[in-house]
Amino acid sequence: MNILIIEDEARIAKRLQRMTAGFFGNKPTEIIICDSLQKGLSHISSKPVDLLLLDLNLNGDNGFEVLELMVSASFHTIIVSANTDKAITAFAYGVLDFVPKPFDQDRLFRALGRFLAPAIKTHEDIKYLAVKTAGQVKLISITEVMYIKGAGIYTELHLKNGRQELHDKSLELLEQLLPVSFQRIHRSYIVNMEYAEKILVQPGSRYGVSLKNEEILPVGRSKYKELRNKTL
Amino acid sequence: MHHTLIVFLLLLFLPTGYVQVIEDEEPVPVYHTGDNIAWAAKGFNDKNWNTSRSETDEGIFWSRTHLLLRPVDNNRRPLGLQIGSFGTFDVYWDGVLIGSNGVLPYGHRPEQPGTECSIFIVPDSLTSPGAHIVAMRMSQAYLPDVHRSIGFKMEKYTSLLTLPLITMSYMNLMAGAFLIASLYYFFLYFNSKHRQVDIMIFATICLLFFCLLIMEYLKFHMVIPYPQFYIRLEIIGWLTFTIALLIPWYFTIQFHFKWKLWLLGLLLGVLLGLYYFNYGNYDLTAKLYSLVMLIASFMVVINGIIQKEKGGYIVFIGLLASAMVNEYLFYDYSLFISFTLIVLCMLYLHAIRASSIESEHQEALVLSSRLQLELLKKNIQPHFLRNTLTSMMDWVEESPKEGARFIQALSAEFDIMNSISEQTLIPIRQEIELCRQHLSVMEFRKEIRFEWKEYGIDDAQLIPPAVLHTLLENGITHSIPLQGNRIVFKLTYTTGPGYRQYVFDTFAENRPVLTGREGGNGFKYIRARLTESYGQNWTLHSAATAAGWSSTIKILDR
Repeated sequence: MNILIIEDEARIAKRLQRMTAGFFGNKPTEIIICDSLQKGLSHISSKPVDLLLLDLNLNGDNGFEVLELMVSASFHTIIVSANTDKAITAFAYGVLDFVPKPFDQDRLFRALGRFLAPAIKTHEDIKYLAVKTAGQVKLISITEVMYIKGAGIYTELHLKNGRQELHDKSLELLEQLLPVSFQRIHRSYIVNMEYAEKILVQPGSRYGVSLKNEEILPVGRSKYKELRNKTL
Repeated sequence: MHHTLIVFLLLLFLPTGYVQVIEDEEPVPVYHTGDNIAWAAKGFNDKNWNTSRSETDEGIFWSRTHLLLRPVDNNRRPLGLQIGSFGTFDVYWDGVLIGSNGVLPYGHRPEQPGTECSIFIVPDSLTSPGAHIVAMRMSQAYLPDVHRSIGFKMEKYTSLLTLPLITMSYMNLMAGAFLIASLYYFFLYFNSKHRQVDIMIFATICLLFFCLLIMEYLKFHMVIPYPQFYIRLEIIGWLTFTIALLIPWYFTIQFHFKWKLWLLGLLLGVLLGLYYFNYGNYDLTAKLYSLVMLIASFMVVINGIIQKEKGGYIVFIGLLASAMVNEYLFYDYSLFISFTLIVLCMLYLHAIRASSIESEHQEALVLSSRLQLELLKKNIQPHFLRNTLTSMMDWVEESPKEGARFIQALSAEFDIMNSISEQTLIPIRQEIELCRQHLSVMEFRKEIRFEWKEYGIDDAQLIPPAVLHTLLENGITHSIPLQGNRIVFKLTYTTGPGYRQYVFDTFAENRPVLTGREGGNGFKYIRARLTESYGQNWTLHSAATAAGWSSTIKILDR
């Protein structure tokens, strides 16, 4: 487990490190502290990261300018910040949690708990998915996304306009961030129910969902019941 | 009120609109040197008398003037005869002595001079329509070389006496207004910190105008013997001259006229030329003065309109109205009315300026309270407060004793902030104390060793609050510690000819800039504070150095 803390306040960084280490206990965990955005970014580009704890206001740098980049990455981001007024925006961008300063152990543990239990959904509304294209980060409104298909360690976002975008996060991580209108219907598919038209039962106990654009997505056997219950 | 207004308007147009008692437009007197009481008789034949007076020196001479009277209503009686003339004289109406002006020389007794304008009552029995004769037994011992014709006017006796006084009362009303305006602006000028020439000029113009009005109607306040007649006209001339020079000058200042000296030089030259070439022709000179003044003012105001100066159009219209009045109204009043219009324009310009000064003042007040707020916000803005509280939580959990020290340091910083927040200048010691308290708070947060050094501090000096504190915050935020995990700050105070300065150095490694900084607000605050206290008399330089960062605040002596 690789955890990166980007925080310029030495005392607070140490606190985060101590508490995080305590949370993960006996799991093999490596926690790195970077006291500037620049160091953090270079660390991310060279070493694998599973979870990022990020302060938004660092040495006068505006963390928001790199937030898009962070949330487009393969790992989850938890914001630890004094700028509590930025929480809603941060959630809209797709952070796992926003821990307002000052924080105690309980609050931080709750955020870290989310990281460990993907089933726990974020209650705040994500509005965008950030994707990297041609070296730039682009925000895609989730209302534009019809469905998401897992493709190895990446995911493909299939958009209303027929285009596709690659996202660095796995289907599991995205499922955790996306609102309930996005349903996991298959090992490899999340569908935006806004675009689903009906559930198809095909010969041989094969199930599917037809979309408004007449595409048909497979529905996993185990997911079928769940889906029926929800849509009924 | 209505009634008085009508009378006033009537007065304005009286000379052109009213049927005169004397039918002759300009009755021509004839003269004869010598003295004979028989020359007073109505029937005397003066055919061989001259229309011009010969050299009479101190001797007695006679004049006879034939007047043709129109029929006159009873309500215009008794008639009075107004004589405008130089010299001293007895007046005979159809051979009857009706009065005298001054005392004629008698034997060795010299002449006691009369005044230029005199009014006599004429008995009703002698004013039947038709031909009459005014014979005057005269002497002009003073100014015997001045040849002035004799002017006659007939009107109801009481009207002749009172109408000019009514006019004067209105003019005095105006004069009073100008006197008050003049005093007010003089007080304003002498009591203001930044004395403005234009206020002085305006006050002077008002005063001169007051004097002009008083001089114009001086003859009703005192008897002016005819030898002194020209002194008054000369004074009026010079008053008009000065006003004609000052009004365009005032406009050049208000409308930021670029070629001020050229215009004023030219104006002065033209006015002096007018004085020289028309010497003695007082009414014409005054009229030409005001014409030249109007032309010069028009030039300045039109230029002002082109330059889009405030109030340009209003003043232009005012000048236009003034020019019309000058052109079309009867002279005696037109000068004053046109001047009044111009002075009203000037007053209007003053009002505009006063209101813009007031709004500047308001803005300054708003700025001051905004800066005050900004200062207070420094300690409650979330980034500072929440990070401090988080660190404090950690210290309290880990080491309560240290935590308590931290809380004390923070509370000391708050105390100082609190005590300086409403000031615009504080003792330098207090500012330094604020910085040191801030450093001890930040040491708990950043776990960096901050060192503070100071050189040449003069404890008597004042500085706007939290200016150095802001530089210090920047230094902490943008610096990477030196070896040994320390950052050194150094404040140096020096003075030189005409200035004093603070150099604030940060010795550390500068952090590379990654994103668009939200900063710049700190410098905005410092600049606003310096402007608030020192106006334009300061400079601020802030730049990276080989050793870190250096900021210099230079305060210039006024």
